[in-house]
Amino acid sequence: MRNLLKECLAEESGFVELRYHHKESRSFFAERGRVESTALRKRTGIGVRVLEAGTWGFASTSEISKSSIQNAIQVAKKAARLSSALRKDKIPNLPKANFAIGDFIGKGIEDFRNRTVEEKLKLVLDIQNAAAKQSTKLQSVGCGYSEIYEEKAIVTTDGADSFFSMIRPEFRVSAVAKEDGKMESGSHSIGVTGGWDCLFRSQSPTEISDEACKTAVDLLSSSLPDGGLSTVILSPSIVGLLVHEAIGHTVEADFVLSGSVAQGKIGHRVGSDLVTLCDSGYSEYYEGAGGSIPVDDEGIIPTNTVIIKNGILSSYLHNRETAERFGVAPTGSARAWEYGDVPLIRMRNTFLVPGDSSLEEMIANTKDGYYLDGAKNGQADATGEFMFAVQKAYRIQNGKITDLLKGVTVSGLAFDVLQNIDMVSKEFKWDLGSGHCGKGQPAKVDAGGPYVRTKVLLGGK
Amino acid sequence: MDRNSIEKRLNDQKDLLSNLVKKAKTNGIDQVEIYSSYGYSEDVSLEKNDLNNCTATEENMFGIRVIHEGNQGFIISNHIPSLYQSIEEAYSLAKSQSTPDFDLGLPEPESIQNHFNQYDESLDRMGIEDLVNSAKEALGWRNDLYSKVNIDSGDFSLSKGYKLIVSSKGVMAHELGAELSASVMGMGVDGDLVGSFDYDSASGFDKNQFQTLWKKAFMNFGDKCMGALYAKPISGFQGKVLLPPDAVYSFFLGLFIGSLNGTSLRKGKSKMAGKLGEKVASSLLSIWDDPTNNGLMGSTGFDREGLPTSKKSVLTEGVLNTYFYNTFEAKKAGLPKSNGSASGGAQSLPGCGPKQLQIAPGTSTKDEFFKLPGKTLFVNRISGTKDGASGDFSGVIKGGYLLENGEKVPVREVQIVGNAFEALNQIEAISKEGELLGESSFVPYLLLDGFTITGVTEE
Repeated sequence: MRNLLKECLAEESGFVELRYHHKESRSFFAERGRVESTALRKRTGIGVRVLEAGTWGFASTSEISKSSIQNAIQVAKKAARLSSALRKDKIPNLPKANFAIGDFIGKGIEDFRNRTVEEKLKLVLDIQNAAAKQSTKLQSVGCGYSEIYEEKAIVTTDGADSFFSMIRPEFRVSAVAKEDGKMESGSHSIGVTGGWDCLFRSQSPTEISDEACKTAVDLLSSSLPDGGLSTVILSPSIVGLLVHEAIGHTVEADFVLSGSVAQGKIGHRVGSDLVTLCDSGYSEYYEGAGGSIPVDDEGIIPTNTVIIKNGILSSYLHNRETAERFGVAPTGSARAWEYGDVPLIRMRNTFLVPGDSSLEEMIANTKDGYYLDGAKNGQADATGEFMFAVQKAYRIQNGKITDLLKGVTVSGLAFDVLQNIDMVSKEFKWDLGSGHCGKGQPAKVDAGGPYVRTKVLLGGK
Repeated sequence: MDRNSIEKRLNDQKDLLSNLVKKAKTNGIDQVEIYSSYGYSEDVSLEKNDLNNCTATEENMFGIRVIHEGNQGFIISNHIPSLYQSIEEAYSLAKSQSTPDFDLGLPEPESIQNHFNQYDESLDRMGIEDLVNSAKEALGWRNDLYSKVNIDSGDFSLSKGYKLIVSSKGVMAHELGAELSASVMGMGVDGDLVGSFDYDSASGFDKNQFQTLWKKAFMNFGDKCMGALYAKPISGFQGKVLLPPDAVYSFFLGLFIGSLNGTSLRKGKSKMAGKLGEKVASSLLSIWDDPTNNGLMGSTGFDREGLPTSKKSVLTEGVLNTYFYNTFEAKKAGLPKSNGSASGGAQSLPGCGPKQLQIAPGTSTKDEFFKLPGKTLFVNRISGTKDGASGDFSGVIKGGYLLENGEKVPVREVQIVGNAFEALNQIEAISKEGELLGESSFVPYLLLDGFTITGVTEE
């Protein structure tokens, strides 16, 4: 594929980027004693991006042939020329970059190719059947397994030349429990970049299922917490949501240029000394983080980007265009979901660096507060105001965990929450690997970290 | 790409898909359905108050469903030369399963009564140059009228295409469509002050319709961003909330409509199970689904299974009248056939849901809602979470206002918690005025009482 792409670029003089992308997504889902759905999605094509007359042009084609790709290059060039007259702030150049050269084959791909459809169907059916028998209160238990296999080749006229592949499996269980007309749901999911063993390394399918079912049943006897500004200990999944939603989005350089709250704050204190925050293309601490990428979608080798070092904002996340504008090196954060998508600045694996405390000490040191666990969804704003939803909130009184309460929405101002972090645990976990981030197009990301203690606004009664 | 070339492609594809289905039947694959979705679009995007990118994309996606002895396999592909192999793969997926349900089968064809012409040929005289001009105009509005509003991103699109469904049972239906659309997202910025982001969008069948609606949407976007710029924290209270049409549709109504889905009902996950004919909401609320109204963007003559759509009442003065079924869920519910409510497209199996909801206007004037005594929270948008089973929702209010003594104070760091099913009975008034969201669904303003509002300041 790299050779075909290079052949298409042989006579090009300006900047042209060709991105071949083949994606196969398989999914299996069982509920109520039977396989409810099996699906395979295959999508292949080439995204063509050109920089001409100071602006971008983009076209795509699903036909993998020299003539079709060359035609798409001409369409993209025409589009760029048409728009050039209107664009005020022309893009002068793209900076030199640490291009990936060669083939980068992801771990675990053969493992999945060797496993049959029947084996994957049996997994979801068996887990679902066993879970549904756990409690008479369970109305429905759904079990899903999915995997995304991707291969890409990126070749540019200024030196990128790579092929890479990866596999991303996910496993999820969702349960609905009912009693006296009340209904509650619980869910638990995992997702990694890597093989089958990597997927079930920290929890077996049965343990994942047990956790989802227990949450649904336990929540039947829970009530809402008191609303208001509260001291909270956040589990790694919630820390993951916090650093992704509250901070990560505000430091994407395209959003910074639009006026996000992080604009002009490089070198400023934005968190307590205990806060060191990174976004990495690799899987730090241990393998498998769901947003890992060997090469970004501009053909660059990704970095581990330190966004905040001991409370001081130190870097934004960049693609080649914003790196040029800020006079820094690209961080390898450009990503596109499908071949027909233009690469955008996206997070990869976002995490808080662990500290010295233990979870036990943190709970013992909390007189009045909540322990929040089970990430649901989250969103952030240009203002730095964020919200994330949690499944479960446990009351902490006089250093001990007491009642289970319904987890609700938690919100705050990003930098205030970081400033209020006063304890950070030694333990570390990636815990958002089954998540997707939305920003015009989806992206597979992961996030995590240690347990942290801070203050947030808790929605409640 | 113009109407003639799209029609030619459609006609060629009808033949191709019919032949593939015939070939499959000859080879012992009895139940095959192919849903084809073809689109060609030209787009101009904005970023950081400037033009960003121009793109041209074309793609044909196929959703191939094979049912074999009560089991189903589904393949999605964009590769035309290997479509027959995809049928075989879907067949293989179906055969690999061991949990058949013999209610699963493709529907018999039915005559489609409503044929829409959603393709105005004037769009064939437009192209990317016109989109660039629209972008230029919008940037001019921003510079002249909303200099404190930063456009984070925006998109102008001219799209054309068709959907086509062919099945081995004899279903054959298609519709052409073309539209101009635009969207914008951004926020107010004044020195160090940054407001909540907001967005708006518009679409039209022709240039004139689009331009009128887009200008209105852009001004609405600008006003919302400016309104959110000087927001303040407030203290919490128990009381009224006022939902504008966008918030009614995107957050409040979704949970209720989801609970009428045939699949949720069958799986025991819906609080609306067994409630047909019962009063489940305030008498003020009447809702119907009408995809047959020509001239609206969401109108369509057939559903995801190629069966005819129809107008149906959902709620009449708070009394529940219907659920939404595809063919499988209708059979599981003991009905002779579906009610034409199969939802989805080429990239999904048929689900169950409405096509084009309409909410009956009330008798109040919306301006009255802004002058109520006491405190009312105007909820422009909720950034939050909702649980389909329990109906619980909670979230942060974005671009909201505290309405108090005739004043309108923009607020931030405010949360709301509630339950959608209880909220159906908390409706105090519905406005006469409303909006045609996405040029498709009419939605009025709703005033509700009895909510818990959490703020960060002390009273």
